[in-house]
Amino acid sequence: MPGGSSKIGGRGPSSSPLPHTVVPPSRPLRPSRYVPVSAATFFLVGSTTLFFCFTCPWLSERFSVAVPIYNGIIFLFVLANFCMATFMDPGIFPRAEEDEDKEDDFRAPLYKTVEIRGIQVRMKWCSTCRFYRPPRCSHCSVCDNCVEDFDHHCPWVNNCIGRRNYRYFFLFLLSLTAHIMAVFGFGLLFILYHRQSIDRLHAIVTLAVMCVAGLFFIPVAGLTGFHIVLVARGRTTNEQVTGKFRGGVNPFTNGCWKNVSHVLCSSQAPRYLGRKKCVQSVCVQPPFLRPQLTEAQLAAKILDNGIQGDLHRSKSSLEMMESQSCDAEPPPPPKPELRYPGITRGNTEECSLLNKAPPTPTMYKYRPTYSPGKNHTALTHAYANQLSRGESVGSARDSSSSTSSLLQASQQPGFRSQPSLDRRDTSSERVGGGGGGERREGGREVGGGGIPGYSLGGRSYPSFSDPTVLSGVASRSSSSTHTSAGAAHVSEATTTSASFKSLANQTTPPHHPSRNGSLSYDSLLAGGDDFDKGVMADSAAPEVASGRPCTPAAGGYSSPFLSSQQRVAEMHSQSSQSPHHRHRSSHHHHHPFLHRSSSSTSSSPPPPPEKERLLSEPHPGSHPPPANQATAPPSSSAPPPPHHHHHHHHHHHSHHHHHSSSSSSSSRPPRFAVPHAPPHHAYPYRTRSTDTPLGSSSTSTTHPPRSPHPPPLGKSLSYSSAAAAEMQYRLVRKASASAGANAAGVGGGGGGGGGGGGMGGGGIQAPKFPG
Amino acid sequence: MRQSPKLRFCVQTHSLQDLQQPAVSSKVFIQRDYSSGTICKFQTKFPSELESRLDKQQFEETILALNNLYAEAEKLGGKSYLEGCLACLTAYTIFLCMETHYEKVLKKIARYIKDQNEKVYAPRGLLLTDPIERGLRVVEITIFEDRSIGSGR
Repeated sequence: MPGGSSKIGGRGPSSSPLPHTVVPPSRPLRPSRYVPVSAATFFLVGSTTLFFCFTCPWLSERFSVAVPIYNGIIFLFVLANFCMATFMDPGIFPRAEEDEDKEDDFRAPLYKTVEIRGIQVRMKWCSTCRFYRPPRCSHCSVCDNCVEDFDHHCPWVNNCIGRRNYRYFFLFLLSLTAHIMAVFGFGLLFILYHRQSIDRLHAIVTLAVMCVAGLFFIPVAGLTGFHIVLVARGRTTNEQVTGKFRGGVNPFTNGCWKNVSHVLCSSQAPRYLGRKKCVQSVCVQPPFLRPQLTEAQLAAKILDNGIQGDLHRSKSSLEMMESQSCDAEPPPPPKPELRYPGITRGNTEECSLLNKAPPTPTMYKYRPTYSPGKNHTALTHAYANQLSRGESVGSARDSSSSTSSLLQASQQPGFRSQPSLDRRDTSSERVGGGGGGERREGGREVGGGGIPGYSLGGRSYPSFSDPTVLSGVASRSSSSTHTSAGAAHVSEATTTSASFKSLANQTTPPHHPSRNGSLSYDSLLAGGDDFDKGVMADSAAPEVASGRPCTPAAGGYSSPFLSSQQRVAEMHSQSSQSPHHRHRSSHHHHHPFLHRSSSSTSSSPPPPPEKERLLSEPHPGSHPPPANQATAPPSSSAPPPPHHHHHHHHHHHSHHHHHSSSSSSSSRPPRFAVPHAPPHHAYPYRTRSTDTPLGSSSTSTTHPPRSPHPPPLGKSLSYSSAAAAEMQYRLVRKASASAGANAAGVGGGGGGGGGGGGMGGGGIQAPKFPG
Repeated sequence: MRQSPKLRFCVQTHSLQDLQQPAVSSKVFIQRDYSSGTICKFQTKFPSELESRLDKQQFEETILALNNLYAEAEKLGGKSYLEGCLACLTAYTIFLCMETHYEKVLKKIARYIKDQNEKVYAPRGLLLTDPIERGLRVVEITIFEDRSIGSGR
């Protein structure tokens, strides 16, 4: 079988899939990894061989020779697909080279948001592979690789299932189901005709084979059915079990027919590892052509004395300032050098860098242009507002194209590596960081410049910025009608998110493998108890052996996506409702598709106000998003107002007890648009946070009056209410974030009912999107 | 000051400058455009680092051509379907002898990039790198230092 280099290039924690070399594995042998695949191979080949030896001869004589031929073809198909699924490279991304990671990790955001068909999708920075994971890519901790279109890590083939080998895995399941049915059926036929001589060896062997076949049929058929649904819906297992599209729209689906044809009929995707490196045969020698040396441009230069070129060159930075300064103070006057046409273009450019850049080599030319002086405030305000206007990464980049690219080209080591206590430097750094680079744009969603007064003196310690980060995150993702105060909070998130990438890079995930997002059946099982039975049974066998790491897996898996406050909240609810924790963890995975970077934050929020907010939510543990939002406002304000608002929350809770969840979900967008009470205006995040729990409060009948205490440990939350609330929350976010709100609303409403059916089951049972 | 690295380069390569390639000044990475999903498409936005080196038109033309080629590679047509059927029927042994459609297009892309490098990019002190080497995540454009013209460029 044509094999990929998956086993060689991608295995083991210490191996690194370099782009063009195959690294021999130097990790310790882990025999436990090979137990399931060996068992699968043994049962498959062994049982079929016995079937062919003992059952088929009589069948071919009695009925037709077509019987063993048919079985032989099917078995061959099973084997071929099994081998391809096992040995083929699933689509491993090679590690990014050093030069790709230009930004100082210390300041780069952990997440980058892209808009896919109108839906915001978050790309996470992979600290192992050193790039932002493309959409649908996930890092498998078992294989220690990022895999494209990651489906899951299958222990039965001891390989990740990704873009390249999903088709073979799917066909393996289909053919194996057919094979098992055929073996069982023909075995049954044999037994029925040999009832009298049942004690003969042939009959006994056939019975044994039938038992094995019957035993494996249920999980395999279940898994096959599950994957048929996934293929039809255009989802991966990872997305299904983490509930990414629960109540929402799947941006990756093209309709049932196209999804199926994409899986089955698309051309074999190329492997990225182990490719023959093409030798660069092109010789690059100076002198180099330059676009600006064209005659027309020279003439223009002479005529305009360089103003036109200067304007063009400086326009981008001005553009950014102008576009950003709508809600802030007027843009600063044009840079002085523009008024002096006598200056040559090159010098002007350097001057435009405001004496920050040295007069020279190209690589130093594009240092960030913002002076720490008067410009930065306007920029930071404007920038933050720009972010809060809900611009997509792409469009945001456009408006600051030149500047951001300038920044991207070479970041200021001086700014980056030393968190400065100086507010100005911090702000300009933020702006510089915020404006520059692709990676930076992930932070845009939550980070603008440092806002005076809220800047933490340049320290990007998560503990400082948590509350403001969350507030910033909440404000960012909520709506486009942010006040500049909201934007102020938004700015803080950059620090935390920025620093987290460096933290992420420094600290490998300490514990559970599924933390990294790899979806082995361990986390599958942990993630979805209500999963399709086949999956359960299928994964039960290895799970039994390895113990059921349900809780840690769920907890571990969800932790990267949670802020510590969420974790705190989660732990509180976890103690009170362990059966539901997996659901919670599944809900946490909505996060990647919400443009937030709150997952990076660690905790040390001002605990009482945070807990107050958590208290006010009916599902503090189950809803990190509300918790996030909930924690956001109090941190940004003085303690007394939060207390005040909590009382309002209580009133609202009691009001909305009577509403059905569906009605509240349908009414959510209008409610969201219209803040309920005047006090809420001061905290736009609060409006959202009240909305979320209120909608689902109908399902939680026991809603103790809120008081400024730590969340009640004994609070019980129903699974369906948690699901409903989470979906409604996501609904709200989608409504504010994209135009697909209406579709999401319908899906969310329908999903609310299906949420009780279980994570995986719910996903299957309640078709919510036109997949 | 900052002139020193430049001077160092000059000193280093002075004797060999006829043979050596000029020093790499910086690299630009053209990211993927995910607005239409996970199909392979690169952003056509013109990076500002190249403003002084390359025409916007040229750049866009190159990227659009690449996008079209990748779209062709990923197309779900009769050809890819037949290829899949044939592979199934031969228990995938056909992959040992035959090149898949995607690989064929990748070869075409490699030729196109080489061609563009020779005609457009190398004369301007730039170099395109085939994105397949980076896992189809980015198009890398290497900007070479221009020592023939004065500083500040």
